[in-house]
Amino acid sequence: MNIWERMQVIDRRWVYLMVALAVIIPFIIPMKFPISITPETQSLYDAVEALPDSSNVMLVFDYYPSTMAETEPMAVAAARHFFSKDCRVITLSNIPLGGPSMAENVTRLIAEEYGKVYGVDYVNLGYKYGYVSVLKGMGQSIESIFPTDNSGTPLSELPIMDSVVNYDDIAFIFEVADNATADYWIAIVNAGYGVPMGVGATAVMAPKFYAFVGAKQIVGLLGGMKGAAEYEILIDQKDAAFKGMDIQSLVHLLIIGLVVMGNVSFFFGRRKRSREKS
Amino acid sequence: MKTGVPVAVSFVAGLIMVVSFFFNEETTKVGGLSQELLNWLIIVGGFTLLLGVVSITRVNWSGVRQKKEGWIYKVFTLISIFAMALPSLLPESWSPLFGRSAGSIYDWLFVYLQAPMMATMFATLAFYIASAAYRAFRARSAEATLLLITATLVMLWRVPMGEAFLNLFPGDIPAWLNTYIMNGANLAVQRGIIIGAALGASSMSLRIILGIERTYMGKG
Repeated sequence: MNIWERMQVIDRRWVYLMVALAVIIPFIIPMKFPISITPETQSLYDAVEALPDSSNVMLVFDYYPSTMAETEPMAVAAARHFFSKDCRVITLSNIPLGGPSMAENVTRLIAEEYGKVYGVDYVNLGYKYGYVSVLKGMGQSIESIFPTDNSGTPLSELPIMDSVVNYDDIAFIFEVADNATADYWIAIVNAGYGVPMGVGATAVMAPKFYAFVGAKQIVGLLGGMKGAAEYEILIDQKDAAFKGMDIQSLVHLLIIGLVVMGNVSFFFGRRKRSREKS
Repeated sequence: MKTGVPVAVSFVAGLIMVVSFFFNEETTKVGGLSQELLNWLIIVGGFTLLLGVVSITRVNWSGVRQKKEGWIYKVFTLISIFAMALPSLLPESWSPLFGRSAGSIYDWLFVYLQAPMMATMFATLAFYIASAAYRAFRARSAEATLLLITATLVMLWRVPMGEAFLNLFPGDIPAWLNTYIMNGANLAVQRGIIIGAALGASSMSLRIILGIERTYMGKG
């Protein structure tokens, strides 16, 4: 067995060890490569920046805890941007598995940074079953779909909801998603009610949303952790995504290296086998 | 009866939703009716969640009683369900540990157990993907080679270190990738997929409304 054939049957635990090292090393030795801003992120930032101060906005937490590493930095950055503009933030989730809790914890944390008060500057509507019905129903009346907030307080007792009836009173929707609910927000809320929208999606989902950016159905897009890091740079609050880029850089390069190595060993191994046959 | 009633309900409900699209929701009766149906959907959906809890409890409880293989895991499943569900259903006015707000039992279990466990499960994918990429991602054909080259370039472009590497070459490769790969080939293909999926969903909906498709009733 020559080196090429041996490379093809390498113990997978060596690969796991390399991935582990690629994750750990940037923690110890930060590399700090410059991050460029893509036009999709820039246009999303510009759209939020252009909102009048104190606008009513929706920040939607449509992601599961499993993708928090990618999606939560987007939600945090969006919340910071909204609060820095004194926007009134309405959060909700179409994810029963932890969506409302993530919305609660993220907004509460960021609201404290900016001295915002629950019920006055922000509210968490929580979760309600059936996103198609929920999205469509809020077009008529948000209170009819969510009579209470996530803690059970009637919306009529929260000052923030005094000026909000339905989508007509919402200036912008920022959807952070790791699943198909983002499609429904675009198809039902943007197309049906004309509310401007931006989407933050996981890296594997992001390519799909380029079609919606191209059609101007969404004003911009954050694609994966890189998108979140770009947004953190734009709002001048470098945080988790920015730090995570070193790790992602090294793991991406490792995977590319492994693919190249795998192909080289495959071709040389195949050449040896064909020589032996002839 | 078992077939006729569900088909009739599907037909009427589907028809109302289709027709209401062309009417004002707030000023017409058809629009109001569609809104009413959507409210029903939320209520019925809430009961399906309850049904799910009842079902998972019954299945796991019978497994525990009969001491089936792996019954101890079923015990943990049952404990987990009720440990999270029951305190979250009790009113916050009784104790700050109840309900779903920060500091409650539900929130504590979610933040310190469920979220890290789910994130850990998902993170292990990175190890499998790396191993699978090494073993399976081969340039065996022209199409596979094209996919491999495109994927490599996009992967490089999406990370700062890779982008710095691409910038070593003449021409603005990152901008080229964004314009021609993501906003060019990718966008065109995604649009095709989205339109195809929408047409498929429309035809499936029509089949259900007209009673041709009956698999949702467990019938072919």
